[in-house]
Amino acid sequence: MLKLIGVETFYGKIKALHGISLKVLEGQLVCILGANGAGKSTILKSITGLVKPEYGTIHFKGRRIDQMDSEDIVKLSIGHVPEWRRIFSELTVYENLLMGGFLLKDDDLIHERMEEAFQHFPILKKRKTQQAGNMSGGEQQMLAISRALMLKPKLLLLDEPSLGLSPLLVQDIFATIKELHESGVTILMVEQNVNQALKIADYGYVLTTGKIFLSGTYKDLLEEEKVREQYLGEGKYNRRAKVWSG
Amino acid sequence: MNSLITDLAQEIFSGIALGSIYALIALGFILIFKATEVVNFAQGELMMVGAYVNFFIIQGIMGDLHVPTGWMFLMGLVGSILFAIVFGWFLDLVINRPLRDESVFSIIMATISMAIMLRALVSMIAGSESLVPQSPFGGAYFNLGGVIISVLDLTIIIGAIVLVSAFYYFFNKTRWGIAMQATSEDPIAAQLMGVPVKRVYALVWIFAAIVAAISGVLLSPRASLIDTNMGFLGLKAFPAAVLGGFGSIPGAIVGGIILGVIETVSMGTLSFHFHWVKEINDIIVWIVLIAVLMIRPTGILGTEEIKKV
Repeated sequence: MLKLIGVETFYGKIKALHGISLKVLEGQLVCILGANGAGKSTILKSITGLVKPEYGTIHFKGRRIDQMDSEDIVKLSIGHVPEWRRIFSELTVYENLLMGGFLLKDDDLIHERMEEAFQHFPILKKRKTQQAGNMSGGEQQMLAISRALMLKPKLLLLDEPSLGLSPLLVQDIFATIKELHESGVTILMVEQNVNQALKIADYGYVLTTGKIFLSGTYKDLLEEEKVREQYLGEGKYNRRAKVWSG
Repeated sequence: MNSLITDLAQEIFSGIALGSIYALIALGFILIFKATEVVNFAQGELMMVGAYVNFFIIQGIMGDLHVPTGWMFLMGLVGSILFAIVFGWFLDLVINRPLRDESVFSIIMATISMAIMLRALVSMIAGSESLVPQSPFGGAYFNLGGVIISVLDLTIIIGAIVLVSAFYYFFNKTRWGIAMQATSEDPIAAQLMGVPVKRVYALVWIFAAIVAAISGVLLSPRASLIDTNMGFLGLKAFPAAVLGGFGSIPGAIVGGIILGVIETVSMGTLSFHFHWVKEINDIIVWIVLIAVLMIRPTGILGTEEIKKV
């Protein structure tokens, strides 16, 4: 469904992505893992055209999209929930959802989709006329996801959905993502919360400083010592701790 | 005593009419600011261009007549609006689009230089002599208990209220209006919703040019004067926008009318009865502005901006 080949993206003169190749098959939930600054968000931004890759190609459903404008990429049915949610904080929840459905010309359809969102997240219905900026982080994340779902995208890009949320909310959000995935949405997700993310993902890529350094299924990656060491808190330090404790 | 009240009522009425023009110019400032966070210092010059275009259209179709008839004035108005649409689009193309990724400050500087260039260009094309436009209503008025209500002033007031309400409705209730607000807050997120950000910006500049043209068309017969310096009125309308609460559309009309009334009353009755007021006529508007901002830093109808990540 989505295929990146040798994508290199620059911020000015700084190379953020060093030849990224990855693919997402229809119906999959693929996760990109990696530390801060590894270039995870840049991959998603390159896909939706917020930054233009200098080299390499990106194909979506057989169509080359790497030089297209964001608006046109969105029209091909790719939804992007950006890092830190970026809801419109000065608009109400209702208006945010309305913007999510901006490309829908039919008012009835917009309201139908909005009802679906409210069914999914009843709290949003309660907050319908409230300014979105006054909501809690979890509610804002729900709004950001609902906003992206207004267009029923074939592919949903999620950029760190758990960022800044309490552990309880993180579980909620991941449960929602899992549900979405099971309902047939193809998802490409970027996460730092490796443990949770890998549990629901079909396939994972591990990124370090702009390069893909490992990839595989949940099981493969769990067996990989480096992943456990760097992301799951089972590294040398812990083993040494065991030595000390006897 | 009685004459004092009539005088005052008369001054307040013409103050409201003058303030309505301030309100329309302020509306132009606010529209562009709301959508792009740019203060367009060429707003007054856009008004001047609108007034000139209107004058030449009317002159062109009027021939030998001295007072334009209603439909000529209407043609002039429609013509200047059409011109404003093209002109606003052009301004977006030469100012906003190339500088979109630069800081807001450089766009503001570009609007200032655009203002200077427009003044020079218009005096090159139209000559530097002032023109004297005629009101389509002649001197028509009616007498309301000693207060003279001129038909032109009444038209100006109604026109301003209608325009401000229309834009208020557009910005808050229609899809494109909300998309403009969304774009102003976060253009990247708006882009991810499929909002055509470039077109939204162009639309805002076109709106601002239309509002400016209409205010120019309404102002010129009232002032009976068109010259290249009338754009400086834009600098008088700027405090109106700040007073009403920059970014608030209804604030434009509130701020505009307050300033208009203060100006006429202080120049009239107050200066007549208190001589020291005469000395501070030019700055009284700014004194009021500072006083209001000390009590309400966001302006009368402005809301505090939420800056949250």
